[in-house]
Amino acid sequence: MIPLILRRLIQLPLIVLAVYTVTFVLAWALPGEAVLNDEGRQPPAEVLSALRARYHLDDPSRFYVEYLYRASGLMWTVESVKGASGSPPDHVFDLGPSFRYEDWSVNELIASSLPVSIVLGLSAIIIALALGLGAGIIGALRPNSLWDFATLSVALVGISLPGFVIGTALLLMFPVWLGIGSVGSWGRPADILLPAITLSLPFAAYIARLTRMGMLDVLNADYIRTARAKGLAPPAVILKHALKNAFLPVLSYLGPACAMAMTGSFVVERVFNVPGIGQHFVAAVKNKDLFVIMGVTLIYSTMLTLFNLATDVLYRWVDPRIS
Amino acid sequence: MGRILAVFSLIVAALVGVAFTDRPSPRADLTWIEPADFNTLDPQRMSHLPDFRIAYALFEGLLRWDTLSNDLHVVPAVARSWEISSDRLTYTFHLDPTAKWSNGDPVASADFAYTWQRALMPETGADYIKLFHLIRGAREFTEWRAAQLKAYAQRPESEKSPAAAQSLRDQTDRHFRETVAVATPDDHTLSATLVRPVPYFLDLCAFGPFMPVHPPTIERFTDIDPHTAALRQRQGWTKPPFLVCNGPYIVERWRFKREMRLARNPYYRDPSLARADTLAVKFIENQNTALLAFQSGAADWHSDLEVDYIGDLLAESRAGRRDDVRAFDAFGTYFWSFNCTPRLADGRENPFHDPRVRRAFALAVDKKAIVEQVRRGAERPATAFIPPGSIPGYHAPAGLPFDIARARAELEAAGWIDRDSDGVPENSAGVPFPTVEMLVTPVGSHKDVAQVLGRMWESTLGIRSKVVIRETKVYRASLKQRDFMVARGAWFGDYLDPTTFLDIHRSADGNNDRGFSDAEYDRLMTVAGNEPDPARRLLILEEAERYAMEDALPVLPIWHYAQYYLARPADRIGGLRNLSAHPRLIQYPFLLEVAR
Repeated sequence: MIPLILRRLIQLPLIVLAVYTVTFVLAWALPGEAVLNDEGRQPPAEVLSALRARYHLDDPSRFYVEYLYRASGLMWTVESVKGASGSPPDHVFDLGPSFRYEDWSVNELIASSLPVSIVLGLSAIIIALALGLGAGIIGALRPNSLWDFATLSVALVGISLPGFVIGTALLLMFPVWLGIGSVGSWGRPADILLPAITLSLPFAAYIARLTRMGMLDVLNADYIRTARAKGLAPPAVILKHALKNAFLPVLSYLGPACAMAMTGSFVVERVFNVPGIGQHFVAAVKNKDLFVIMGVTLIYSTMLTLFNLATDVLYRWVDPRIS
Repeated sequence: MGRILAVFSLIVAALVGVAFTDRPSPRADLTWIEPADFNTLDPQRMSHLPDFRIAYALFEGLLRWDTLSNDLHVVPAVARSWEISSDRLTYTFHLDPTAKWSNGDPVASADFAYTWQRALMPETGADYIKLFHLIRGAREFTEWRAAQLKAYAQRPESEKSPAAAQSLRDQTDRHFRETVAVATPDDHTLSATLVRPVPYFLDLCAFGPFMPVHPPTIERFTDIDPHTAALRQRQGWTKPPFLVCNGPYIVERWRFKREMRLARNPYYRDPSLARADTLAVKFIENQNTALLAFQSGAADWHSDLEVDYIGDLLAESRAGRRDDVRAFDAFGTYFWSFNCTPRLADGRENPFHDPRVRRAFALAVDKKAIVEQVRRGAERPATAFIPPGSIPGYHAPAGLPFDIARARAELEAAGWIDRDSDGVPENSAGVPFPTVEMLVTPVGSHKDVAQVLGRMWESTLGIRSKVVIRETKVYRASLKQRDFMVARGAWFGDYLDPTTFLDIHRSADGNNDRGFSDAEYDRLMTVAGNEPDPARRLLILEEAERYAMEDALPVLPIWHYAQYYLARPADRIGGLRNLSAHPRLIQYPFLLEVAR
């Protein structure tokens, strides 16, 4: 286990560097002037060139190296060691300023939005697990019954209906018509519930189908028949014996699902006005907000790599047969 | 199984913990919705309407508008009184000695001089730097500073040092005092001399970029780059607890894309001015959600509702089924730009170089139909560039009507005649009129308008067109490179003078995306600029607009914008009082009041 973790941790900076380079090339190739506001006024040439010089937008190689130097924490390390020329920078990893939201640094934007997305994503996955496992077990116990048909249909709807339809319907139903909860605010536990449910549905549907298939395979196995024959109560047979094996495919799906739920919530974020990180993925590219594009990509690729590592470790821990 | 359960219980516990620590604040006296978070709170850098709106609550300029008046005249703010010299070049302001910054420091005339110098430094990146260039010596100062920075950057590394950069900065400060006609004879007197009489200079003194910033705060967040000698403004000074301002409110809390909360500035010189004790701004990007949030009572005002079913909402309003959708005339015009350069970006000859062709295209458009059937809002069909009635004493020209026969005649006069009876006109060399590429951005109703325009042109003139959709950044770049034939456009005025609209058609103007260069128009604008008599000046500007809108046609105006608010009527409980109806729609947040 330890060598695996070490190997992955050594790979991490290389993977991130590759992602950074590709992102840099793509972001640089985006058309448009990064330092100008789209609907703003056109400043004279000397102002524009002063701004471009300040952010090294006139020199791609300098930009590439300088940004890496700041973002990787190297600059902070060097300045701290030197210590002579005043105070070190505010952040270890300085991801630069945002061009669109000029009063915020990318560090601040990520610090305020990433926790939101993590909370929303994990809540959605937990709801998805509860819904998906329940529906999957019910469907597997009575295959081809009305119950099975009903849960499968609901799962199909969950996968097919886009988030903005379900989200808007939930918003209309609960806060507007029933007066439960609020629209467009974030912070109270109740605010998390509706977006989390919306975000969870496609995952719940997938988990339901995985569980149903897994359970159907397992329920006819000999050791389940043995368990029933020795007189165990049906719930114990299903939850302790059958689910244990049927859950493994679900577990391997959970890793990518978590990553997707935490970052792929753009639509749900928009409908419920959740201040998460998903907005930055889309808006930064549209605004050619270079530092946000680079910063968010760096953080996301680091997170994704660590996440895959965590899933692998968890998987080995749960199922000792895998080495 | 137990292990998995343990992991999940841990996650659930952490989530519940986080959820209960992150609580929203209680309801403010006045809450409003903005569609996006503010670009910046830095008055010199801002150029967006919502940014100005919040800045007017936080900062106070020399003057302020009476937003509830019909002519939007200026009234005293930090300046209690002012004098204008007989040649109308020198303005002397007498500041209120009780004016204070939110940390208790007095507001001095030197703060204004510092701020205006800051706006003139090229590295500040002030969008409105040109307005400051109306002050004598200001343009030369900016150019001097830019040249000095360039010379410094080219020095050998051995001659660059923090001390050398600092010395250039000291020299710059001296140069500003010596060459720019801004004087501070004492702490409460400020005078400025202009390059020429500017009838709207007092209006500018109420405009956001001219509002002062607190010099010690700015200095704390500024350092000098020893490699370029440029001043580097660090982020953070616009956020609490660092932001020091001189307006009725201070920022209590600002959480990105969630909420901004304002509280009264304890040092503000006129506490009775502001109505509400606490203000809150919510940022809701998705307009459907914003509408639902307003309907569920989460806000008292939505400052900019932009939905494509606005026509249905207005119809419900007219039918008496709702009273919260409010439409106001705005200080802006939606138009289509003609590329006026002789050749297109790909080297082909540009038929729109000929003003007769541009006139033909404009005459063929039924704007009333577009407004009523495509836009379906409260916009007014436009034949002029400046929204009629928005500037006191200024009369908009009639512009070109919808006239199919005249449109065809103009096109024929330009030499485009259907010579081979295939329905498409050809020029004298037999080359058919090229398919007109219509450049739009993917949002809003631009694509629909483009399709209707295309149909009108095809049925009247026989000219085919196709819609080209590009993302905003690409669209902007295409405009700057004149890589388009016709393109959607919009312009909103900044100050109460016709030049805020008419300047963009001058040959050398940075916002002239059309490549329009017309000696007669430039001449009229120059003559107006040199005209000392304000009434005669307005007449010349009227003639310039008439020439642009009836003869030269750099743009085809379609409608004058309307702005949609969500707010209940002032006489109902929960209604919003003191909304300004003047087309500039300057809503001072400190004047707004919710009826309880």
